[in-house]
Amino acid sequence: MNEPVTLDIKNVGQIEAASLTFGDLTVFVGPQATGKSIALQLLKLVVDAGQVQDELGRYGLDWSGKLSDFLDVYFGEGMHAIWKQDKSSINWQGREIDLEQMAKRKRRAKDENLFFIPAQRVLTLRDGWPRPFTDYTPGDPFAVREFSEKLRVLVEKELGSASLFPQVRRSKREFRALLERDVFSKYALKIDKVRSQKRLVLGTGVEGENLPYMVWSAGQREFVPLLLGFYWLMPPTKVSRRSQIEWVVLEELEMGLHPRAISVVLLLVFELVVRGYRVCLSTHSSQVLDAMWALKHLSENSGTPKAFLDVFDAPKTPPMLKLAQDMMTKIRKAYYFDKGTGIVHDISELDPGAEESGQAGWGGLSEFSGRASAAVAHAVSNGSRQSKK
Amino acid sequence: MSFREAIASTSGLEEAYKVGLQALRAEDKPHIDAADTRCLTGSADIDSSYRSIEPHANRWDFAIAYKHTNRAADCIYWVELHTANDSEVKVVIRKAGWLRNWLKNAGKPLANFECDIVWLSSGATSFTLASPQMKQMAQVGLQHKGSVLHIPKKRNK
Repeated sequence: MNEPVTLDIKNVGQIEAASLTFGDLTVFVGPQATGKSIALQLLKLVVDAGQVQDELGRYGLDWSGKLSDFLDVYFGEGMHAIWKQDKSSINWQGREIDLEQMAKRKRRAKDENLFFIPAQRVLTLRDGWPRPFTDYTPGDPFAVREFSEKLRVLVEKELGSASLFPQVRRSKREFRALLERDVFSKYALKIDKVRSQKRLVLGTGVEGENLPYMVWSAGQREFVPLLLGFYWLMPPTKVSRRSQIEWVVLEELEMGLHPRAISVVLLLVFELVVRGYRVCLSTHSSQVLDAMWALKHLSENSGTPKAFLDVFDAPKTPPMLKLAQDMMTKIRKAYYFDKGTGIVHDISELDPGAEESGQAGWGGLSEFSGRASAAVAHAVSNGSRQSKK
Repeated sequence: MSFREAIASTSGLEEAYKVGLQALRAEDKPHIDAADTRCLTGSADIDSSYRSIEPHANRWDFAIAYKHTNRAADCIYWVELHTANDSEVKVVIRKAGWLRNWLKNAGKPLANFECDIVWLSSGATSFTLASPQMKQMAQVGLQHKGSVLHIPKKRNK
């Protein structure tokens, strides 16, 4: 179990005040443009300042010691406005982080500790091949460029073989079966070559019949970069983690995916947590908080790993039961980014009967269902009276 | 007809009318939060009143009447205080069925009031707003409102 770690953010972008404690698994929810992505990118910056500056410098980006230029290079064009001089502040583990100083003086380069899988991951493949860092404009967010470059190196140098899915050495047999059932169907993900150009394709099983990137479903296009990200974090050795990487940020894991596929991705996330990574997610899917809620109550009420796997319709094999058992002991946190106030609320209790609507409705994710139920209940209980009028 | 008059003319509830929330036990009162307590026009303990008449039935707990500022007549909140866990959903749905059937028969004088049929958790809640249980309850006119029923001055429906 990882020790809880704290990050306090004040007056940055849409965030008025956030007091975040990260567990083994931390989930951010909230409407669009409430600062979830800013908080996650700030986390990357405080964890990996040296590596971020080193990477930017290596690709010829120069912010001349100015904070506003640095913020534009790191968060993306125009994002310097999120930082309000004399008002904005960040505290990491109780220690104030001076961003002005960080921008002025280059930190010593060090190994990367946080792996960031951005929401815009679909942009990282062009014509079925990962784009290099330099393929983007200087105004594109660092997190997207960096992830894209990682995938390029992974596909070009590490994976090597023609078959990317199924991959025997990088994931459990059970995950391969679930991914085949709920994401890839009968297709295989592989590297193909047209004349001299390599590209990712979905193989139909018939020799020479491959589906190129442009005809993949939206879900497959979203999922492939995510799968490659998981591969990067699950090295094909006996070592369960990629060395030096302690943190994983995954934005909007549900993008383009059917709820069954989301269940598989959640199990893969739990696999990362159990391998010892500290994982932070942002999501707009109530399914993620449903899973957190089930996990909480099963842990608190001596629920069995089998019951937990039932939630995911996952096989009850010994490795999966071990995964469920281990996951039930992990520290889980959930935060709601409130659009109205800019305050970030701790909703880790996930109490559907809570007084606070933010907690009961899980940051608005269940709000619609709640309103639909209330409208139907009202119509049913008053319908006969109204029809008599 | 006012709530008080309707209670007095309902078989089995003739003596059940109480002022404000007085029909509720002291420990149940904190579960009700009225925006203006002066607008609480009375309450009745259905469960106790019908214990001897229908001892084996899944009887409903309480009726609470409130006069909203944007309504001409009283509105009735039919309130059941019950453990809110999954295994109790069927029990409370049966109780709501009893209530709706009763309103068609002995409780007919109370059937024409605008109403909400509300389940309040007497302890922790173990299902979510998006759960199928909530939809199952909605289909029989039943709403789960957490552990406290907040009654606003203006009715928003």
